Amino acid sequence: MGTEILEIKNLEKKYPGGFGLKIDYLSVKENKILVMIGPNGSGKSTLIRLINLLEEPDSGIIIFNGSNMLGEKVDRIKIRKSMSVVFQEPLLFSTSVYNNILMGLNIRKIKVQQRKETFNFLIEKLKLDKLLGRNPKSLSGGEQQRAALARALILEPKLLLLDEPLANIDPVLREELRSDIFDILKSIGRSTIYVTHDRNEAMIIADDIAVINEGKVEQFGKKDEIFRKPTSGFVAKFVGVETLVEGIIFECRDNVCRIMIKANNKRQSTDITDNAGYRNGQNIEIFVVADAKPGEEVTLAIRPEDVTLYNVHMPHEMSSAMNSFTGVIIDIRDVGIFKKVEIDCGFKLVSFVTQNSIERLGLAEGKNITASIKASSVHLFKS
Amino acid sequence: MELIWEGIKQAFILLFSGNREVYEIVLLTIRVSGTAVIISMVIGMSVGLAVGLNNFKGKRFVIAIINTGMGLPPVAVGLIVCVLLWRSGPLGLLGLIYTPTAMIIAQVLIASPIVAGITLAAVQQINPKLKLQALSLGASGWQVLWIIIREAKLPAFAAVMAGFGGIISEVGAVMMVGGNIKGQTRVLTTATVQMVRMGQLEIAIALVIILLILAFSVNLILTLIQQKENKTWAQRFWR
Repeated sequence: MGTEILEIKNLEKKYPGGFGLKIDYLSVKENKILVMIGPNGSGKSTLIRLINLLEEPDSGIIIFNGSNMLGEKVDRIKIRKSMSVVFQEPLLFSTSVYNNILMGLNIRKIKVQQRKETFNFLIEKLKLDKLLGRNPKSLSGGEQQRAALARALILEPKLLLLDEPLANIDPVLREELRSDIFDILKSIGRSTIYVTHDRNEAMIIADDIAVINEGKVEQFGKKDEIFRKPTSGFVAKFVGVETLVEGIIFECRDNVCRIMIKANNKRQSTDITDNAGYRNGQNIEIFVVADAKPGEEVTLAIRPEDVTLYNVHMPHEMSSAMNSFTGVIIDIRDVGIFKKVEIDCGFKLVSFVTQNSIERLGLAEGKNITASIKASSVHLFKS
Repeated sequence: MELIWEGIKQAFILLFSGNREVYEIVLLTIRVSGTAVIISMVIGMSVGLAVGLNNFKGKRFVIAIINTGMGLPPVAVGLIVCVLLWRSGPLGLLGLIYTPTAMIIAQVLIASPIVAGITLAAVQQINPKLKLQALSLGASGWQVLWIIIREAKLPAFAAVMAGFGGIISEVGAVMMVGGNIKGQTRVLTTATVQMVRMGQLEIAIALVIILLILAFSVNLILTLIQQKENKTWAQRFWR
């Protein structure tokens, strides 16, 4: 546990038209990166504006650097000067890149000579050395955002707020800039809130993650916790869980629970020699490592990369996985470098495999296949 | 054609022969229009910024008034100022009628809405998020205002140029409130009208050429300031 540089408690803001933000608790640890992830319009950027005091909340507390910054006698400009924001748009002014980078320093009446080391470091890391004399209008989107980042980072803020800084940059440049940002943040060790709706970006950059949805924090915790142990269907889907199934805990022994889920498949196997077909309503057993009680209604979350596929004729004993299901492939489609394979095994199960696996196993729509999942790879939360 | 050449020749003779009357006319023109444009710049830009950067009830109505003011006929302005400053008028006691001050007042009334209108349009075209960015950099209210003015630098200069162009070439209002008194309120435009009336077309052409040179010189200086690029010494300094 690190020291919190920012803590938000019971923060509320309502807007005409119905949208509202209600944050029960959120914190940023010193020199750590909190990634706020959520769909567009979920309230992430609003929260950034509230933290930077660009908007007033209706109620709540924001403790920054040990004191409540929403008090009446608070010097708002002084607080803003302890932070830096990079918005989705670079928002550079009509002057040279050099003058833009120095804009915040000039406002603070800090001479650039006092930050010469930081300046040179940023110029080199953000590849701005040949752009200093240029007008921002003549730069690409990526170059403009690099200048905006330098302008924010040269201020050496106590808290850096990055509001989807890569959202308007094309994918190739985005990856490059993301890597540069990550390198810089790691080397200067700055407390940061990074807003994104890209879970891959969150996975790369975050120490902690807050999943925001409809103005509320759905889940907040360490990166691995959010990715491996989502506490709601929304978070599970947002962090890449493809299979969500509801069931009832039948029994638990030594932290291994036997859970019953109802088969709901519509397609029956074409091969009656195996058990690829389930009848509607038939119980399917699944083993999960969990601390739960029998009788509880739960949702099972299975990540596609945790599902291993075998040809049906391979002996199941070859795998250490406790769960093995045979089903029919109902769909195969490209998802980036992987293929997404949807299997109907009484419930819809999704697996990500490589093109090589597709060819090696001869996977095709309508083919029967066996899928195995380790009991420890299935996560459950109360329905 | 010969008349035009004669006029051009006459213009240079008048300019370089040390003709006292012509110099007085040129200097008064610069003094009256220069003072009027500076006052208009202060009034027009303040109004343009105040209306453009703030949201208030009746904003559209105010914008409509400014826009109407941009097209205000100089003759109407001249008449209004004339009536107000007339010896028996509400401000007659000030004794300003037929003085350069009266001419400045009329020109300010003509140029201010032009400067205000163009400044307002310029400010409204600036990305409103830039204000947010300036605030997030820790800028105070005045610093934000200064940053926004600098953002509107190009159109702001255009506003000043348009204002200056509108008044230096204006004849109706200054004639009405200034009276075109020789040695006191005679400026280039009124002097030109006088020369045409007297049939001295060569001198009229010469005065117009001087007027054009003056207008061009002022606009050239403003354009050079407006288009000045940022120096690139920064890169050399740091690397």
